[in-house]
Amino acid sequence: MSNSNAGETVVVVRDVCKEFHREKLTIPVLSGINLQLSEGDYLALMGPSGSGKTTLLNLIAGLDRPTSGDVVVCGQNLGQSSEGELAKWRSRHVGFIFQMYNLIPVLTAYENVELPLTLTSLSRRQRDDHVKAALEVVGLQDRMDHYPRQLSGGQEQRVAIARAIVTDPTLLVADEPTGDLDARSATEILELMHRLNTEFRKTIVMVTHDPNAADRARRILHLEKGLLVSEVVESRTKKAVQ
Amino acid sequence: MKTFKYIWRNIRRNPIRSLLTILSVGFSLALMTVLYGFLASQETWKNGAAQANRIVVMNIQGFSGKLPISSVDDVRSTKSVAAAVPFAWFGGSYQDEQMPFAQFATDPEYVFNVWPEYSIPPEQLEAFKTNRQGCVLDRRIAERRGWKVGDRVPLKGAIYPFDLDLEISGIFDSPKNTDSLYFHWDYLNEGLKQQSYPNIDNAGTIFARISSSDSIPTVIKSIDDKFGSSDTPTRSQTEAAFAQMFVDMLGNVQVLIRNIGLAVVFSLSLVTANSMAMAMRERVTEIAVLKAIGFPRSRVLFMVLGEACAIAMLGGFLGVGMGCLFLQGMNSLMPQFFPFTVLEMLGPWISYGLIAAAVLGLISGIVPAIRAAQMSVIDGLRRLA
Ligand SMILES: Nc1ncnc2c1ncn2[C@@H]1O[C@H](COP(=O)(O)OP(=O)(O)OP(=O)(O)O)[C@@H](O)[C@H]1O
Ligand SMILES: [Mg+2]
Repeated sequence: MSNSNAGETVVVVRDVCKEFHREKLTIPVLSGINLQLSEGDYLALMGPSGSGKTTLLNLIAGLDRPTSGDVVVCGQNLGQSSEGELAKWRSRHVGFIFQMYNLIPVLTAYENVELPLTLTSLSRRQRDDHVKAALEVVGLQDRMDHYPRQLSGGQEQRVAIARAIVTDPTLLVADEPTGDLDARSATEILELMHRLNTEFRKTIVMVTHDPNAADRARRILHLEKGLLVSEVVESRTKKAVQ
Repeated sequence: MKTFKYIWRNIRRNPIRSLLTILSVGFSLALMTVLYGFLASQETWKNGAAQANRIVVMNIQGFSGKLPISSVDDVRSTKSVAAAVPFAWFGGSYQDEQMPFAQFATDPEYVFNVWPEYSIPPEQLEAFKTNRQGCVLDRRIAERRGWKVGDRVPLKGAIYPFDLDLEISGIFDSPKNTDSLYFHWDYLNEGLKQQSYPNIDNAGTIFARISSSDSIPTVIKSIDDKFGSSDTPTRSQTEAAFAQMFVDMLGNVQVLIRNIGLAVVFSLSLVTANSMAMAMRERVTEIAVLKAIGFPRSRVLFMVLGEACAIAMLGGFLGVGMGCLFLQGMNSLMPQFFPFTVLEMLGPWISYGLIAAAVLGLISGIVPAIRAAQMSVIDGLRRLA
């Protein structure tokens, strides 16, 4: 997994507004958001329910396009890309971690992790190497033939993380990755993400309600009714103490 | 390859529902195969008849009309006629069986000249010719009933007030199952005379083989002209036209069967479409995840469509297989109604069942597939979030 060009800008969010339209109703969700992330950043997005955290995360991950403003991630202006282009772009640059793990129940851990690689031109052997390496990072190589229902919640989430990193994406997005886990599993997941950030220099954007989880990040942003209200930049010394 | 594995796992995800869908497709297509098998057997008969240079002469009034036995000689003396025999349907019953197999009163001297494609050992044919109560029959009948040369076959008259007491002189082989027994026309006629039966000396129909297919129209014309002014004017036709006549007697059954087939496919497509739609509704989040990961629309479309087609094709193979087994079973149990083996009528008819299954899969899968492909990722993800 490469980590060259440290400090390069990965995410630029410029004057972004987002509205949803439902049956002639316009729902403004985000207004005038500005944000910049460099490679190796770890951002926690916090805020009350309905404040637009998931919406902002989806914009950064290229799942949706802004109503106005620019979202440029890994050099691609997402607002101006077609849906097909976005899909292709996501498969190369973004890894997804969801609250409900969202593994495919009919596929084994191994097959779930392999799934994003089936979109690439890698050979079966190369895929096998990647899958095993990713499962090793999350410490589940001995569980690769298990189906999701045979794993605990924490293990499922680790498989999901392996799936997110198997293509070696620049950016990881996580929407409340510990929201459904007990404290111990949550800690494991957060430690794993911390490792991905420090050891593999993944740029991470994580939505969370949990202040403990947010503390692990390098930066914390608070959203309130679609506006960024405050930003906390963690000091390296505090991290070091932990 | 990976995609096919995934499709297969999805089919097995809800095995009961998939199985029920496959079975409903299977049973309906089995029914369709049997119905089409019936059409196919008629087609086969017609096509077989078209290859033989044979004509059938009958009274212009049809089967009820009389054809004096002397007409056989008149036909024989017509130019280009290679051989001709009387051919009268006896329709007797054997023990308790009303319709055990076909029985024809004919002329042993020439019957194998009219049907040169049938083969019989020469000594058996000789025995048949010399034994007035002798008969020959299709090997399939003999095998089915365990009969051999020398066995006696009593047949009770149904149309005629005369019972036959036949002895098997020979067993013949034919390319297709004829399910027929041939015996002496003279034996029947003598018996009817003794019973003072009014309608004696009747050839029934005359089958004649023509030396070349080119001369068939001329022969037909000259025969019908010859008898045109007699008491018994005739209608002659090729064996193929004769077969067609039987097919036509069934009227619009053909069209009806075809339409039933279409209706079956249509109603089945609703069943499978519903089951696919249900499956997709359960998988909204999963599909959203696939799309988030970067699966293009085309691949999502292909996966859903592939699943629908796979289910339909599994049902198709099952159904066509069951239908064929049924037809084959009927062929060995009741060859008089199902005279052809499945192999003989395979060809396009079987593939119609499989094509129907494929169409079914496409029709039932296309709407859920497009919906899955078009589905918004963020809406799909919100479902569970
Ligand atoms: N696809 C959509 N259509 C209509 N409205 C939407 C859509 N997505 C989000 N919204 C609305 O936008 C607002 C912000 O939603 P969002 O999911 O971003 O909030 P959130 O901060 O992630 O909340 P939570 O903490 O509960 O997950 C909500 O009022 C929501 O109803
Ligand atoms: Mg949210």
